[in-house]
Amino acid sequence: MRQSAKKTEKQQEYISIRFDAPRKYRWSTGKWIGRTYLEAKENKKIVANRCPQCREVLWPPMQVCGRCKVEAGEDWVELAQTGTVMQYTYLVYPLWDPHYGEKFANPYPNAMILLDDGVYIRHFLEETDPKKLKAGMRVRAVWREDAERGEGTADIKYFRTIEE
Amino acid sequence: MPNRVAIVGIGQTRHRSTRRDVTLPEMINEAVREALADADLTIRDIEAVFTSSMETFEGIYLPDHGAAAEIGAFMKPGFKVCTGGTSGASVVVEGFCMVAAGLYDTALVIGFEKQDCGETTAAITAATTPVWGKGAVTGAIGEFAKQALSYMETSGAKEEHAARVRLKADRGACRNEYAHLKLGLQTIEEVLKSDYLVWPLRFLDFCPQSSGACALVFATENRARKIHRKPVWIADVEVVHQEPFRAGTFGDPTGKEAYSQHVACERLYKRNGITHPRRDIDMAEVYEPSNWEEMSLYEHLHFCGKNEGWKLVEKGITEMDGEFPVNPSGGVIATNPIGATPTIRVAEAALQIRGDAGEHQVAKDVKSALATALGGPNWTVLTLLKRTL
Repeated sequence: MRQSAKKTEKQQEYISIRFDAPRKYRWSTGKWIGRTYLEAKENKKIVANRCPQCREVLWPPMQVCGRCKVEAGEDWVELAQTGTVMQYTYLVYPLWDPHYGEKFANPYPNAMILLDDGVYIRHFLEETDPKKLKAGMRVRAVWREDAERGEGTADIKYFRTIEE
Repeated sequence: MPNRVAIVGIGQTRHRSTRRDVTLPEMINEAVREALADADLTIRDIEAVFTSSMETFEGIYLPDHGAAAEIGAFMKPGFKVCTGGTSGASVVVEGFCMVAAGLYDTALVIGFEKQDCGETTAAITAATTPVWGKGAVTGAIGEFAKQALSYMETSGAKEEHAARVRLKADRGACRNEYAHLKLGLQTIEEVLKSDYLVWPLRFLDFCPQSSGACALVFATENRARKIHRKPVWIADVEVVHQEPFRAGTFGDPTGKEAYSQHVACERLYKRNGITHPRRDIDMAEVYEPSNWEEMSLYEHLHFCGKNEGWKLVEKGITEMDGEFPVNPSGGVIATNPIGATPTIRVAEAALQIRGDAGEHQVAKDVKSALATALGGPNWTVLTLLKRTL
């Protein structure tokens, strides 16, 4: 701000007010993914719809089957909560979430898990010891507490190693 | 019958991690001037300008918007394409289609990215919908790390092979005046002692964030021969942008997911009578964000059989003086201005065909070359270039 050189002039008094106006983004879940939010929150279930033509499970659930190019409808099925780890890694570098402006917690290894119903889910593993991680390990979903749920598939806290 | 289209001008910036000395438009201007000088044309000879970059990587929307003057696009037709990692190849396809269709006789095609402005991994992470799989994202590098691990576990490749690919890239980059990372690596041990970034990828196993641009001048057949004494012909292009690949980047045991590279190659090879890619094509510039991905791409692009990618490395087949050179430019692992990266693959392949690659010109005579791009969850764009049609 340019200051007046003459002290005899009446000084303008500036008042500085800092205010934050975070731009809130709002994303719609829509009818199909909305159903997965509801079932996860209320019933700790993983659900998906099936294509009426090829009968494939659509994951994430969706309005149209991409392969058959037909309306997929609402033939809902509950999916298994157990699966096999197909790929995994763990982050060494810090990563932040541009949607929320926060650093990802990422305390657990990140994995691609093939659920027993044949769909892939990208999620976290409870096991943090790299020596105990391996492709092919069997896992089961562990859900967050009732009050913490409402975030879709993030309602699953992580997948826990199971012995079979 | 569409018009034949040739590349008659090639220009690049000297890629670096930061270019604080120039604005984004000024940086792109450097590549445009080089391409025009190579074609011996002025910007007034260019009828249309097409651009590509990754939206929001610079932290701004429509980064081309403020660059109309510097790229010579003022009041000219053309528009920007953004298709994720394949952007810089999509713009080549865009320019090719426009000129082939007879809409323009000359066109300027530009890929650019100034990654010193923004936050690349955050931008990639923002490409995932927050209503699905919130939090379970790792940017691009986490996905390539998982892919590397799968490749390691299933193919029999050792870290030593990945290190060899890294050394090959560095040797190329050190000879390429435009390349970004020139490390002067000498031994496998040097690569294997670099720190982990995302396990099992090390710092030296992954591409840098570069700032740079690449510009190409396209012309129709009747103009091309008058403009440049060595026009390089775009023989064919193939685009496979399908629904997201939900199985991750590895073989899908359920058999439901297909690699876009497989689909794209099969179509392109079939149309062009290519039955043995390593025999029927002379070299390739592939989009390999990591050294592990390069070995995996050899297999997906049918340069060899399954689980044999690392064997090509062991035999030195893809070296600069090898039977089938791959990425003599140093590739993406040395230089990655993302929106420009696939355009650079096409530019470098064209330079090899012209014999103008300078110190990184391969030993064999290159009459045809393949340039690839990958992006999104499972997207592929291929460009086949030839010296004569």
